[in-house]
Amino acid sequence: MSQTYSICLNTQDGKEISFDCTADENLIDAAARANITLPAVCHEGNCGACHGHCRSGDYEQKSHSSGALSKQDEEHGGILMCRTHPRGNMVVEVTSDLSHITSGPVPEPVCEVLAVDDMGGQVRRLLLKVLPDESGVVHSEFEPGQFMELEIPGTDVRRAYSISNAPNWSGELEFMIRLQPHGKFSTWLTDVARVGDRLNTKGPEGSFLLHQAGIAPRRFVAGGTGVAPMLSMLRQMAEFQEPHESHLYFGLTSEADLFAIEEIEELKSSLPNLTAEVCIWKPAGDWQGFTGSPVDAFKRDLQADLAKGIQPDVYLCGPPGLIDAAEAVADELGLPYSSLFSERFLPG
Amino acid sequence: MFCYQCEQTSRADGVLGCASAVGNCGKDAQTSDLQDLLIHAVKGIAQYARRARDLGAGSNDAGRFILYAMFTTLTNVNFNPARFTSMLVEAAEIRAAVKKAYEDAAAAQGVAVEELSGPAVWDIPAATNELLAQAEMASVRAGEAEVGEDIVGLRALILYGAKGVCAYAYHALMLDEQSDEVYAALENTMDFLASDPTDVDALVGQALALGHTNLTVMGMLDAGNTGKFGTPEPSAARISPVAGKAILVSGHDMADLAALLEQTEGTGINVYTHGEMLPAHSYPELKKYAHLAGNYGGAWQDQQTEFANFPGPILMTSNCIIEPAASYRRRIFTAGPVGWPGLRHIENHDFSTLIQAANAMPGFAADSEEETITVGFGRDAVLGVADVVIDAVKAGAIKHFFLVGGCDGAASGRNYYSDLVDQTPKDSVILTLGCAKYRFNKKDHGDIGGIPRLLDMGQCNDSYSAIQVAVALSKAFECEVNELPLSLFVSWFEQKAAAVLLTLLALNIKGITLGPTLPAFITPPVLNTLVEAFDIKANTTPEADLAAALAAN
Repeated sequence: MSQTYSICLNTQDGKEISFDCTADENLIDAAARANITLPAVCHEGNCGACHGHCRSGDYEQKSHSSGALSKQDEEHGGILMCRTHPRGNMVVEVTSDLSHITSGPVPEPVCEVLAVDDMGGQVRRLLLKVLPDESGVVHSEFEPGQFMELEIPGTDVRRAYSISNAPNWSGELEFMIRLQPHGKFSTWLTDVARVGDRLNTKGPEGSFLLHQAGIAPRRFVAGGTGVAPMLSMLRQMAEFQEPHESHLYFGLTSEADLFAIEEIEELKSSLPNLTAEVCIWKPAGDWQGFTGSPVDAFKRDLQADLAKGIQPDVYLCGPPGLIDAAEAVADELGLPYSSLFSERFLPG
Repeated sequence: MFCYQCEQTSRADGVLGCASAVGNCGKDAQTSDLQDLLIHAVKGIAQYARRARDLGAGSNDAGRFILYAMFTTLTNVNFNPARFTSMLVEAAEIRAAVKKAYEDAAAAQGVAVEELSGPAVWDIPAATNELLAQAEMASVRAGEAEVGEDIVGLRALILYGAKGVCAYAYHALMLDEQSDEVYAALENTMDFLASDPTDVDALVGQALALGHTNLTVMGMLDAGNTGKFGTPEPSAARISPVAGKAILVSGHDMADLAALLEQTEGTGINVYTHGEMLPAHSYPELKKYAHLAGNYGGAWQDQQTEFANFPGPILMTSNCIIEPAASYRRRIFTAGPVGWPGLRHIENHDFSTLIQAANAMPGFAADSEEETITVGFGRDAVLGVADVVIDAVKAGAIKHFFLVGGCDGAASGRNYYSDLVDQTPKDSVILTLGCAKYRFNKKDHGDIGGIPRLLDMGQCNDSYSAIQVAVALSKAFECEVNELPLSLFVSWFEQKAAAVLLTLLALNIKGITLGPTLPAFITPPVLNTLVEAFDIKANTTPEADLAAALAAN
């Protein structure tokens, strides 16, 4: 029988949770055995959802995607818990609050398609409604920033997409999905999906969540449809009338990619302390706004913030390159890692 | 952060008060500091408001803000720092308005404008980091090095008592009861504190005056409750669930419950009371709703288990909220002064989302076997049988009355109260109120000539009802209240209990036994003053305290 080690997770809100893990299992599976559901999606080291930092103890990090865990991050103790096998007792820091680490299985509700709309920029808005289960329960609870796995009807192909609407009890889930050439879900969405179709889903999942207890100003740095979970966060902030001074950096490659502009304008009118700017990396025409990546714009403002003694909470969502670049900026300018909250969009 | 306002404050290694990153209640340092700053801002409002009122230009808008702001700083009410930054912005606006009202009234009447200092002229920064940098100035211990801990403790007694008075006044306001006299008294209290008082007699006098104000406020709350919902009457409250969708209402606010009952009528959703909402089952205008299905759970400190097991959403209308566990944090809603970061807050009695949540959730699958307890022995019910009670006393069937009431809490020492009640002689009657009763209210204590030995008078603020009963009995027996065969055992936890205690002292009620521990802000010399003036006692053991109470007969 293999050696058993104690794993202690330190949560974002300073709490601890412990479980045992044998040398031949990974942290996610061991936690599940203890009825603790940690954030994880692919379980293969590809998505980065189970990212944490090892503060002490020996472990073996099995093979994984460098997009989900960069070499540099790994050298500083970064781990993907689904690919981490202990070789001693470990203390691991995770970016979830204890109250966000759930127990028991993740719900798998059946949903019905309410609408599929073209948002522009090759992005479709998919609106689903969670259907009651056999006992009449509607599993519609989620936190802003979380995602669902959606299964293409008639297949076992699943893709994870962030929820873009605010938490609600009507069971509505909104997604913003960029069409990928020949992508399986994209093909279903454009060619097959009809209002009334039903699909299996799993969720909510994910620990990319608002740092609710904080009163620091909030900066949202989004690349493409990485804006979706941030819209969920901002929409909840608007509903709750949260006073945090907030700025959204919304990065797109060109003007042709523009989408969700109306939604952002609507948010600005209901959240007086929100400002937003669209950052076009390679404008094709006479673009009057910021030219460059959202990380460039973020860097410009972070310098000013830090000079005034302001340490913002920074939310990052988009492709790994964007997250790595923003983290490097934060590191360079001296913003603590604990102020960063990120989710990497990786090919499923 | 420094906070010693509640009973569970840190007493580790003889050092009193919570002063680390997170207090024992779960309040983080940032929130605690913002609460102190809000209190500082309220003092500034009161400085101008009191003077404006003296000139006939008082503002009940300012008064209402003071009630709400102070209530949010009670133990286990609001943990959301963002709400405090917003309230500080509002406080600056209100202070500017009352300042203008004062100066305009002074100019109109040809009165010289006083040059105020302290909180009145505090330049409230807009940036949070600049606000927090000034927290020490607003700490309850500010000035301790100069005036000593006794004076700081007396100031704290007044501040915490005032918080309790404000909380009760806010509950009354929600039932459309308010009074210029109460607003004036609270402005006067906070203005007094803004002057950094150091005279012990003046401090004690102010504390007792506040106790009288609280009696008025509890009377207003009583009038609000009985005016809106009728006179409480002895009633059976079901304590086992019935099949169907369900909503749980906790806290103290009967106006929220009434609005929710109205909005859920005919929807098939059952509404359950939790904790201090239990007395709802005795009010005719609340219990008339068939879907007010019962009471669920016990006192506040068990909520993390009870809420997790409740198969529907939860509405928290006032204290005491504690950190919501993962299993129910998405289905617990706050209202009124309550707040927790990331929880949905309901304004203006719009319970539509709460009702949606109840419909989405499973509810109770089946009826449980019926179990009930009897509640609703308010003063009218008790005085309605006054003749029987008086005859029973004269005949020797009732030899002693105990009032065992106040707050419950998690401390193991609180078993004192269940042990005490268990050991009371069979020829005694126990009046109870507050949530401390959950330690003994589901047990059969028998009756004396048909009068139940345990009489549940209601919420903590129904101390008003208990006082009326005591006064009526003293009249019937032609003696002082202190000469009645009545012993008071007050269990305190937070600032509402501090207000009730000040009321009892203001009424010169002597010999109160206070526990489970004495407030950390009452220093030994201050305690000596209270002992000398009011014969106040700290809990020892149930056996010894009971023996002492009965020996005094």
